[in-house]
Amino acid sequence: MSADVIRFAGVCKRYPMGETIVNALVDASFTIREGDFVSILGPSGSGKSTLMHLLGFLDSPTSGEILFEDRPIAEISPDQRARIRAEKIGFVFQAFNLLPRMDVFANTRLPLTYHPRPPADAAARIWNALELVDMKNRAHHRPGQLSGGQRQRVAIARALVNEPRILLADEPTGNLDSRTAATILDLFTELNRQGRTIVLVTHDPKIAAYSRRQIHVMDGRIIRDDA
Amino acid sequence: MNLFSGILNGLGEIWAHKLRSFLTMLCVMLGVMSMVVTTGLVEGMFASWSTSLEEGGGVEKISGVPKEVGMRQQPFRALSPGFTLDDEQALRRLLPDLAQISPELDVTVKFQRRGKSHSGRLQGVRNDIFAINRYEIEEGRMFADIDMADRAEVIVLGTQVVDALFEKNEPVVGGWVEVDGRPMRVIGVLKHYETFYDDYNVLGWKNQIAFVPITTMQHKLKPGVALSWLNMKAARLSQVGELVDAATNILGHRHRGIEDFRVKTNEEQLASFARTKASFYFFAAGIAGISLLVSGIGIMNLMLASINERVREIGIRKALGATGRNIFSQFVAEAVALSLFGGILGVGVAVGVILMLKAMLPPGLAPLLSASAFVVGFTFSVVVGIIAGIYPALQASKLDPIDALRYE
Repeated sequence: MSADVIRFAGVCKRYPMGETIVNALVDASFTIREGDFVSILGPSGSGKSTLMHLLGFLDSPTSGEILFEDRPIAEISPDQRARIRAEKIGFVFQAFNLLPRMDVFANTRLPLTYHPRPPADAAARIWNALELVDMKNRAHHRPGQLSGGQRQRVAIARALVNEPRILLADEPTGNLDSRTAATILDLFTELNRQGRTIVLVTHDPKIAAYSRRQIHVMDGRIIRDDA
Repeated sequence: MNLFSGILNGLGEIWAHKLRSFLTMLCVMLGVMSMVVTTGLVEGMFASWSTSLEEGGGVEKISGVPKEVGMRQQPFRALSPGFTLDDEQALRRLLPDLAQISPELDVTVKFQRRGKSHSGRLQGVRNDIFAINRYEIEEGRMFADIDMADRAEVIVLGTQVVDALFEKNEPVVGGWVEVDGRPMRVIGVLKHYETFYDDYNVLGWKNQIAFVPITTMQHKLKPGVALSWLNMKAARLSQVGELVDAATNILGHRHRGIEDFRVKTNEEQLASFARTKASFYFFAAGIAGISLLVSGIGIMNLMLASINERVREIGIRKALGATGRNIFSQFVAEAVALSLFGGILGVGVAVGVILMLKAMLPPGLAPLLSASAFVVGFTFSVVVGIIAGIYPALQASKLDPIDALRYE
């Protein structure tokens, strides 16, 4: 049995929206283990994004407990959480979220500048990550000069550069055509085969099919988890 | 992320918003420039004043100087004979604590020698004046008692007068010059005085003077002209107050109660010097403070606008592992980069303005290129950048990453 990376135990998230209170997530419990390739599947507004933010502890639960490497994150200070994000979590967003004024190389370097113990071989790691996504020859292009698929590959390189324990991808193919999407998903599959833990959030069952385990979310509740 | 890479990053942001950043830097530049130039002006003004004051006799000097007679005494003013050599004799006899006393009769004359001509100041004095006003004789001698008694036609020259009348390497002592047509033998030459502030010799006036015995002046050159001043020097600083009172009494008596004179000390001058200097610095600091405040507001405004635009960037950075402190220092570094750049430009422009003013203004009024003004202007611009950057940076560091990521 491989080690737990993240465990959710009875996690709820409520937030006020105007006069009403939205139950974004209700009593979510699951575990993500080392080497998993999990997709979180649900229609828009089902609570996937909330789940994603909680997984990356960009947000805190209203009740319940989240454990990262068996440590309850409620006990971890915000600064410490940021450090864990820099060291152990890689984010890939739907909107790529590259910084437009930096070139590909500088964008890829970004997580390393916030790394608590910046590795000595930082430059080599950046080149490796760019090599992996086949973007080495565009290192000094700006995001504006790249296609959507290329941008997403840079975003994946950025997420991989700190050699994270877990890769969180939020609709990574949402802005891509189906062919480009397929190459990105193949890349995820390949990364998972190499042992990388991946959580993929999507609304599309065809994309979820690439993963080895699906968690279905509807109206803030987990309705199916084929763990 | 250290401060240096933060500043580099800030320069990138400045470049990305050229016009906006340029306008803000213009504010800082004007602020720093006005600060450096005002400080330079004040320093330039006071540098020459303070050295002149020191070399003009120091704090033990006491001077009797003429004063406009008051309204009530106007009808009787003729009762007073003005400053005379008898006043000097009385003071010398009655005030044994005076170390030196010398009359001064100050006139402008025309010097001539072998076809060369020069207009300048000539003072009729006694030897004591050299001690009181700190003149040194470099070559030759002072006046002898017999020169005084004989009203001898002998003269001591300052170096500028020598340069105007003699060729280089020509022997001066023993030579003859004409003063308003009357030949005088040169018996001494003063030391050449030089204390430069930039290219202005603040002690230049000491080189422009020539001296003759007071008796010669009064009887042969300018008969019937009253003395200009009476200069005295106390042996010890502690006696100055008493001596001023005593001299005032004696002169009041000798001038038959007509208040046509004033006994003053350099101490008053020093005090008013210090007061004036303080108020000028206050004034200069006020101007500089306001302009730097304005530039601080400019920077803060720019930073707030820039943060509003970059909410998404902040969210991305936080998701990638930036702590609040990372974000805070990034934005402070940007503000500092902005003000530092403005500060450097300001110092550069200030140098230009100072050089221009120096070319236009008479020496003594011209500003100084002082290192301290630059250091102050520079430091101030950085401090302004930090202070103006703190609030926007704090706002940025407090942004919730989720809100920031959702922001479109």
